[in-house]
Amino acid sequence: METIKTNKELISQVEYLQSQLIEAHEIIDAIRGGEVDAFIIKNEDKNELYTLKSADKAYRIFIEKMNDGALTINKDGIILYSNSSFADLIDIPLVNITGFLFLNFIPDAYKNVVKELIETAWQEEESKAEIILPGKDNNVVPVLLSMNTFEIDGGIALSVIATDISLQKETLKQKKEMDKKDEFISIASHELKTPVTSIKGYVQILRFNFQKEGNIAAAELLNKVDNQVNKLTTLISDLLDVKKIENGQLQYHEDVFDFNELVNEILEETGHVLNKRYFDVQLAQTKLIYGDRNKIGQVITNLIDNAGKYSPSNTTICVNTIIEGNNIKFSVQDFGIGIPKGQQIKIFDRFFRVNGEKENTYSGLGLGLYISAEIIKRHKGLIGVESKENEGSTFYFELPFTN
Amino acid sequence: MHSEVKKIFIADDDPDILDILSIMLETQGYTVIKSDKANNIFEYSKGELPDLILLDIWMAGLDGREICEKLKRNELTKDIPVIFISANSSIEEITKEYNANGFISKPFEMSYLLDIIHDNLLAC
Repeated sequence: METIKTNKELISQVEYLQSQLIEAHEIIDAIRGGEVDAFIIKNEDKNELYTLKSADKAYRIFIEKMNDGALTINKDGIILYSNSSFADLIDIPLVNITGFLFLNFIPDAYKNVVKELIETAWQEEESKAEIILPGKDNNVVPVLLSMNTFEIDGGIALSVIATDISLQKETLKQKKEMDKKDEFISIASHELKTPVTSIKGYVQILRFNFQKEGNIAAAELLNKVDNQVNKLTTLISDLLDVKKIENGQLQYHEDVFDFNELVNEILEETGHVLNKRYFDVQLAQTKLIYGDRNKIGQVITNLIDNAGKYSPSNTTICVNTIIEGNNIKFSVQDFGIGIPKGQQIKIFDRFFRVNGEKENTYSGLGLGLYISAEIIKRHKGLIGVESKENEGSTFYFELPFTN
Repeated sequence: MHSEVKKIFIADDDPDILDILSIMLETQGYTVIKSDKANNIFEYSKGELPDLILLDIWMAGLDGREICEKLKRNELTKDIPVIFISANSSIEEITKEYNANGFISKPFEMSYLLDIIHDNLLAC
């Protein structure tokens, strides 16, 4: 009898202890999870309130909302507080962080660096270093650790800010790659021009001689070589222009000029290069523009060349100008492949070329429109495109005219 | 005595381009003096001076702009038309700044070269 009673008693005692243990665990988890602001201890005569000063609500919200990881650690290197950003950064639940040694979360390769960092911070009040932490999905995260000592609850603790610098690193890497590309462009452009000058020179001498001898067929072939050399020259100039735009060195020589005169001049030049395209030209009354005539001419040439490049033979290219308020609007419409809606916004970006099944059949580096947009922007104008896939595109720009 | 055949002095450090320019100009009946540096232009005396100078801007160890400046300051040579020829994309500004009479951007059209030389010889 007595044994059975004791057994029953023991069972209920175990159950009671278990429930207390679960409660204790929940409380510890809540503290570790930062869900507790204060303890109220019930005494016989009165309740006593113990606030967690380190977790003062206003500051906690502030710290909780920041993107950087934020921790406080004590003299023994134990984490007293961690915000959820730090937990996200290292992809470990918050309850498994608070109360544990900070060094537990540092990979072996950086343990000595961090140990030194903590020592320095205690001695000199602050320290900083870049380390790499294991992050989400087996990735690593470059992190800047900034440590500072501060007073807390009458003692002294260490605050640790862990800033994810992967974006910064990535941007820096991209910038370096861009710089390298630009340097290459500059040298390549200059070095390419010299042999191109020689090729073009000899081709023209040969053409001249054949023409004099009356060998028209040979002269015609050399004319084709010359046209190809001119295309190459344009590509080289485009590369050089991009380099200058990036460095802010593209120079503008502004003066007043007659807009229609420029358009007609370019139509004459491009007309015989673009064969089997019909031009429908409708120009409004001419206006005077204050700007760089050569560069605006370059934009017009680029838009007309593109219209020819991306439209089939025996189609029409419409060249129009209209007056809208104080602006003259120039547009070139083709009935070619068009541009998918999603790509229209990117068409003026550097090195961008329309993606599609037929993309490789079109030549070019994707610099022309980027340069054009830059030139129009510098003239306080507007450049844009309206297009439907497989129906064609209308490229236009607007420039203010002078009176 | 003034000779009918016009003399053109060309300075460029690229032998192929020197070759091309002289062939092109000779087809038009000009007399061509080639040089891979322009220094020796000051060695000519009055009667032997060229009627026009084609000057590269960047030659190995030499600056075409300085040479143009010297030519334009010298009583003897200041009226000789100087045409810059270069792959430098600032050639237009350099031409203005150094009071050269014109410029040819590399690569160039033969017809443009002949036109600009013809016009400048007429003008002087």
